[in-house]
Amino acid sequence: MDTGRRGRPVFRVFKAPVSTAVLPHIDAVHPGPRRRLSSWQSWGLVLLAPYVVVFAVFVVYPVGYGLWLARHPASYVALADDPVFAGSVANTLLFLIVAINFKMIFALLLSGFFVNTRAWIKWLSVLFILPWAVPSIPTILSIRFMLNPEWGVINQVIFRLTAEDGPNWLNDRWLALAMAMLVHVWKSLPFWTMIMIAGRLAIPRELYEAAGVDGASRFQQFRFITWPSMRTLYLTSTILSMIWTLGDFNSVYLLTGGGPADLTHVLATLGIRYLRLDQVDLAMATIVCAMPLVLPLVYFMMKRLSR
Amino acid sequence: MKLVTKCAAALLALGMLGAATPVAAQEKIVVWWVKGFYPSEDAALFEAIKKFEAKSGIKVELSQYAVQDGIPKTVAALDAGNPPDVAYFDVYDFQVLGKWAFEGKLEDLSDILTPMKDKFLPNTIETTYLQNDKAKKRAYYGFPIKQQTMHVEYWKDMLAEAGDTTIPETWKEYWAFWCDKAQPDYRKKTGKRIYGTGFPMGVDSSDSYYSFLTFMDAYNVKLVDDSGKVTVSDPKVRQGMIGALRDYTTPYTKGCTPPSATSWKDPDNNVAFHNKTTIMTHNATISIAAKWFDDMNNEKLKPEEREQAKKNYYENIATAGFPKKPDGSPMTYRAAVKTGAMFADSKNKRRGKEFIAFLMQDENLIPYVEGALGRWYPVTKSGAARLSFWLADPHRTSVQRQFSAGTTTFEFTKNWKFTVLNNENVWAKAMNRVVSEKWPVEKAVDEMLARIKEVAG
Amino acid sequence: MKKLVTEAKLLLIGIPVAIWTLLPIYNLFIFSISTKSEAFSGKLWPDHPTLRNFEIVFREEHHFLGFFWRQLGNSLVIAIAVGVLTLLVATTAAFAISRLKVRGGRVVLNCALLTYFIPAAFLAVPMYKAMGTYGLLNNQWSLILAMITIASPYAIWVLKQASDKLPFELDEAARIDGASPLQLFRLVYVPLMAPSLVAVGVYALLLAWNEYLYAFLLLSNERDVTLAVALGLFLSADDSPWELLMTTGLLYALPPAAIYYVFKRYMQSGLTAGAVKA
Repeated sequence: MDTGRRGRPVFRVFKAPVSTAVLPHIDAVHPGPRRRLSSWQSWGLVLLAPYVVVFAVFVVYPVGYGLWLARHPASYVALADDPVFAGSVANTLLFLIVAINFKMIFALLLSGFFVNTRAWIKWLSVLFILPWAVPSIPTILSIRFMLNPEWGVINQVIFRLTAEDGPNWLNDRWLALAMAMLVHVWKSLPFWTMIMIAGRLAIPRELYEAAGVDGASRFQQFRFITWPSMRTLYLTSTILSMIWTLGDFNSVYLLTGGGPADLTHVLATLGIRYLRLDQVDLAMATIVCAMPLVLPLVYFMMKRLSR
Repeated sequence: MKLVTKCAAALLALGMLGAATPVAAQEKIVVWWVKGFYPSEDAALFEAIKKFEAKSGIKVELSQYAVQDGIPKTVAALDAGNPPDVAYFDVYDFQVLGKWAFEGKLEDLSDILTPMKDKFLPNTIETTYLQNDKAKKRAYYGFPIKQQTMHVEYWKDMLAEAGDTTIPETWKEYWAFWCDKAQPDYRKKTGKRIYGTGFPMGVDSSDSYYSFLTFMDAYNVKLVDDSGKVTVSDPKVRQGMIGALRDYTTPYTKGCTPPSATSWKDPDNNVAFHNKTTIMTHNATISIAAKWFDDMNNEKLKPEEREQAKKNYYENIATAGFPKKPDGSPMTYRAAVKTGAMFADSKNKRRGKEFIAFLMQDENLIPYVEGALGRWYPVTKSGAARLSFWLADPHRTSVQRQFSAGTTTFEFTKNWKFTVLNNENVWAKAMNRVVSEKWPVEKAVDEMLARIKEVAG
Repeated sequence: MKKLVTEAKLLLIGIPVAIWTLLPIYNLFIFSISTKSEAFSGKLWPDHPTLRNFEIVFREEHHFLGFFWRQLGNSLVIAIAVGVLTLLVATTAAFAISRLKVRGGRVVLNCALLTYFIPAAFLAVPMYKAMGTYGLLNNQWSLILAMITIASPYAIWVLKQASDKLPFELDEAARIDGASPLQLFRLVYVPLMAPSLVAVGVYALLLAWNEYLYAFLLLSNERDVTLAVALGLFLSADDSPWELLMTTGLLYALPPAAIYYVFKRYMQSGLTAGAVKA
């Protein structure tokens, strides 16, 4: 890329006189608040086209088909009658409320820890990203093996220390659900911590220095400097995390497979269960039922992000 | 423009790398089959496919899946209107075949099966003669290839180590033996935290309901009469069920079965047995013993491992039947006939039927069945007559004896709605109510019977 | 003294965090260097560590490992394709929306965000049907296209936020100098956005590499599936080759970790550039 006299890039191919000749004509045809060359607009559309095509072909059609499959009222009645469905809704809500808040609070706190410039902390932050970067299957299966009540590492250690059998981690409904939540947190915490760290780094250091001079305690610094700056980021991250967690299939499926007797299913794994039962319409009806949960979240995100 | 051409070139290159579309215009059939437990099972299947391809010039596109993944994948394919031409999974007969036949989703195979009707053993091909409600007719909607029944497997060396070598033959004493004698004695002798029994109780498994229904048979419970009508209102049925469920869940509550049993899939009770976590388990095939036979002949293993495998197969593991029923009469066993199918929406039915007919010929079917090392019993008279295979060792002899004495059939052969009950596994649900949710046995049985009446009544 | 206390407090946080993070991965590692009997003994380090498991995997010596290299290759090809193509789709879209201020851009952005309306796991079966209709089943393109669909919304959003931060004077200057939109894209936009582009590409690549559900549903043949699906097949094995499963899993986990660390610099700034709004 050449730089001209004023240090700005020079574009050799396009010649200025042609564009200015075109300009008045375009203005006459497309009057608008911003002056645009029509070729720019058309290029915009061309460049936008790939995603639009992807969207139309792979989002609109499958979603439409899914909704069409879920059109029978009988499916919803069957769904309401199925105790597994009610349990899954409860599990999902618990998952969303408990796991996400737990995760985000930790992300916020750990972000404060990781901005520290000590060398060993820097090294730790490098390792910390591993759970997120590494694929789910080997790691979640590894956790599942660790939690095996007979030969898993955890219960073996408990037995060695206390001569008692450890808890039945994955075969008790609430324990298994708690473990699934922990797995989810384990996997996604690094990502959100990274986001929070970026948020913290954006706060000017002078504010902290000034507060330190004024004698503010660490808690006060957090409350009056850190939190106000991070508040919107925290909220946005929580909402986005809720949307993503609703679709977290791997954490439950790979750890418990839906748990003992379908007791730890969440809405995301319920689809596969209905597939196994040859009740595809119920699988789609589950999605429709999940929509009221997601709709306000997505609406909120859309308002925030498409500014 | 350069950017665009660069992108186009990249796309083209990627397309050539990634796409798997064959260029040849060769005719092909799509076959989905369960992945075998042992290489020899699959080897026999591949051999048969190769011979078929050579003979007919048709390409067979084979995909194999784990047994519990077969049904979700088939359902998705059926829903998309894109099922395979021929499919077989070990759980088709239990959980879906009757339902799909009823709903008209399967292809009528009478034209290839009726001519060969006479070569089948009793109670085998009859199970594939199913009702199609859409076409309002009964026909052969599946092809039977092998069958299975329930066995008990236990470690003789573990019992010897525990010092308990006499196993009782009466019902109550038998189950109490593993729990109250073998387990504590072995634990005391060796200090290892093992379990006397391995009762499959997972909802996502077929072993759990096969074993439970065997317990139900021990209590002489008949859930349907010969016309297919459900008989759950009979108080004797309720009493028998309570007995069966209680006996089935007691080992778990007493701590004689591994706690993870409630989430076992089909291979897991095998796994627990192989690593000697359990002394005994009941299993619907002799896959447990056969695994050691397979290892014995596996050249990729070290010689010491092969020696140990041989010892395990011939000396340490025993295959046996169940004890006498609670009422003292000899135990009866139910057999399940393994069936494959073709679908109404399959693309290449003509060639698919050729493949099925080819596979059903003795020279292909017998090696396939025997490639499973005794895990599956033949459905053909010629297969059962091969005593050189079936009397070759104690495990296979036990299997042969059980089948020769006669077996009974599953409920779904009379009332197809029981496939739905098996698929959602009301049996394992009831077990889990008792052991995980601490329900009283009577309550769980009532819930189970109500559900049976709701679905099949 | 105060320094010691602060150091102790930091260690009090640091050590549990380290254990929490690494324990499952350590377990994975332990299984892969243990023999079968030792793997189930629950020891913290095997008495006789062995590399035999790796040998078995590399030589494809087990019944379920018959296509290990092929499946690893499949995972690689699909992941790279998804990374590159998502980048293409998202970059052009973000450029059009953010810099060219194309009409309807906001609508498209909202549509992209709308794909979160139904999370990916729910869409699996309809996607299967759609791919069936398009004749793409059993073809690796079905998985590639499905993953592009899933990865694009976040990618577009991140890129749009990041490009909103670039001053518009650059665009004006280029336009005055007579640049076409493509030249603006190629010579100004892409170089300036490089860190974010790398981040988004790696994000999409990791997403595709780690995917299980869609790979399981959309791909069938053992030769065509990814390593993720092949790992799932192990769970139906009768002789509990868990140590082989963990070894294969470890090998499967190494490439994304390596790729992440190579591009670490870009990842942190690139993915969060969009998130942080002053």
